[in-house]
Amino acid sequence: MTEKLLSKTLKSYLLFSVVILLVLAPVFYFFTERLYLDDSDETLILRKNEFIKLTLPSMKESDISIWNKISKDGKIEKSNSISEKDSLYFHSEFDIYTNENEPYHILKSPILIEGKSYSLVLRVNLIETKDLILNIVLLYSIIIILLLTGLYIITKKMSTKLWKPFYNTLNQIEQFELDKDKIPEFTPTSIEEFDRLNNDISKLIEKNSQIFKSQREFVENAAHELQTPLAIFQLTIDSLIQDPKITAEQFEILTKLNNTIVRLKRLNTSLLLLSKIDGNQFVTNEKVNLNEIIFNQMDFFKDQALARTIEIKSDLKENVLLTTNNELTEILISNLYLNAIKHTVQNGSLSIRLTKESLIFSNTGDHISLDTDKLYQRFSKLNPSTHGNGLGLSIIKKIVDQNKWSIHYSFENNQHLFEVKF
Amino acid sequence: MKILIIEDEIQLAESIQGYLKSNDFVIELASTIEIASEKIELYSYDCILLDLMLPDGNGFEILKKLQQLNKTSGVIILSAKETLETKIEGFNFGADDYLTKPFHLSELLVRIQALIRRKNFQGNNILTFEEINIDLQSKSVKVNNILIDTTKKEFELLLFLIGNKNKVLSKGSIAEHLSGDLADMLDNHDFIYAHIKNLKKKLNEASCRDYIKTVYGFGYKWQND
Repeated sequence: MTEKLLSKTLKSYLLFSVVILLVLAPVFYFFTERLYLDDSDETLILRKNEFIKLTLPSMKESDISIWNKISKDGKIEKSNSISEKDSLYFHSEFDIYTNENEPYHILKSPILIEGKSYSLVLRVNLIETKDLILNIVLLYSIIIILLLTGLYIITKKMSTKLWKPFYNTLNQIEQFELDKDKIPEFTPTSIEEFDRLNNDISKLIEKNSQIFKSQREFVENAAHELQTPLAIFQLTIDSLIQDPKITAEQFEILTKLNNTIVRLKRLNTSLLLLSKIDGNQFVTNEKVNLNEIIFNQMDFFKDQALARTIEIKSDLKENVLLTTNNELTEILISNLYLNAIKHTVQNGSLSIRLTKESLIFSNTGDHISLDTDKLYQRFSKLNPSTHGNGLGLSIIKKIVDQNKWSIHYSFENNQHLFEVKF
Repeated sequence: MKILIIEDEIQLAESIQGYLKSNDFVIELASTIEIASEKIELYSYDCILLDLMLPDGNGFEILKKLQQLNKTSGVIILSAKETLETKIEGFNFGADDYLTKPFHLSELLVRIQALIRRKNFQGNNILTFEEINIDLQSKSVKVNNILIDTTKKEFELLLFLIGNKNKVLSKGSIAEHLSGDLADMLDNHDFIYAHIKNLKKKLNEASCRDYIKTVYGFGYKWQND
């Protein structure tokens, strides 16, 4: 599972903070309690010393009951045992006001009043442990919440700022296409690593574009250079067949040669066309009437269909005008026609439907669906029995891509269907 | 009729020369701009076949020279390059037609004939072959003065056959002439058989002699004997 860089850093920070705070919570509780108890010890001893120093010297036995009444947290009790030492202990008492047990820290100290031994009992009301824990938890919660929101906001702001050049680069690369001439341009950043990254990517892209371009040019040049020898080949055959001495057998050979040159010519034309489309050598701002093109080519393809008793049905009611390249659109349509006719079974039918949204060519064909993975690959012959050069569908796909249209193939009820969506 | 072929591929030029020779054309060859320039300065040609990529420069220079010299020769560019820009540039410099290599000799021949007709016989648009009269303007055909009804394809086919009389034409070259680039895509050119058959039938019905001969499985020939 992948997640964003930001959330990943943030997660580590948060985890660390939470662990630290949770581990420290009992320690914090322990220290707070110790400190508090020490303090209450001191308070009790201080009060005892005060009593011994200020009150005791003038204390009479008759004063005890009054003193006991006035002082809330101190009592003088008759002592039975004669203990010499102070004793400190804890004791809970039910409080009628708060309606719960209140913990007390108690100091019992032996005193002498008019020669008789008494015990001075002083007490300090302690915070309940429950209250202490509750308060600590509350405090911790507030700290954690503040810390986390703080961390989140700071990390987010910092990271967004720090990683901005990186996301810029990322966006540029995502939009980059090797076969388009638009090369990404990175703006210099103030961070060394990102500058390095940008430089390296620029170099990589530049190198690859260069290689791609020279490959493309090579195909185009090769195809161009082949035109002249092909022309010589063609013209030599055209001249040779004028010789009246040629026999029937020789004509048979010449027919084969002639068919080969036709295939060679077509192959070369297709390669040239593909490389020209790759090289963006076609203007795309022409007004093109699809109905007209389909209708005009119908004549020619009806001739073809007739020879194999294939019926062509067409539904061209809607008038479809597109802004694209006229020549390429003609090539697209003729390739769709040809592809459909070539793969239609004898006595089958071919239907064409044109709407504002799409153009559909469907034909009755073999009972198996075509291999959709290889469909548009160059030179992948799906049906080895045909003499096609395996470039027809690649050309269709190229033109569709060039126009940012889409093409879908489906196979239903023995109907092979190609749909071009505009 | 005088024709100058400016082409550095000797084999190509010779094939063209061989094919055109039998059609009462006088043909001269030039393989460089230098030789060609000299020739167009000295002589007048009815038609010039011009290759664009020549060893000593671009064929457009010849077009400019022709304009300077005020020569009215028709020019057909023969080029391996088929971009819209070169075509437009060619026409702007005064070329009359543009054929992309590879092409068929039969196609070249009818293009030359059409060009010369346009240049020389303005107003006279009747082509006659024995008992056949073809009106190029109204695109109508008369056999023994009887008008026969031909389709557009049949009319073009007839012109193509007569233009290439006594020449063997491959089915492919006929298909290409009738259907242009579309024919290029097909393996099977048998569809032209239907057009030939229909044309033959119509000519026969007007008691025209049978000039169209089948050449084995290869193609057809318009023969007048």
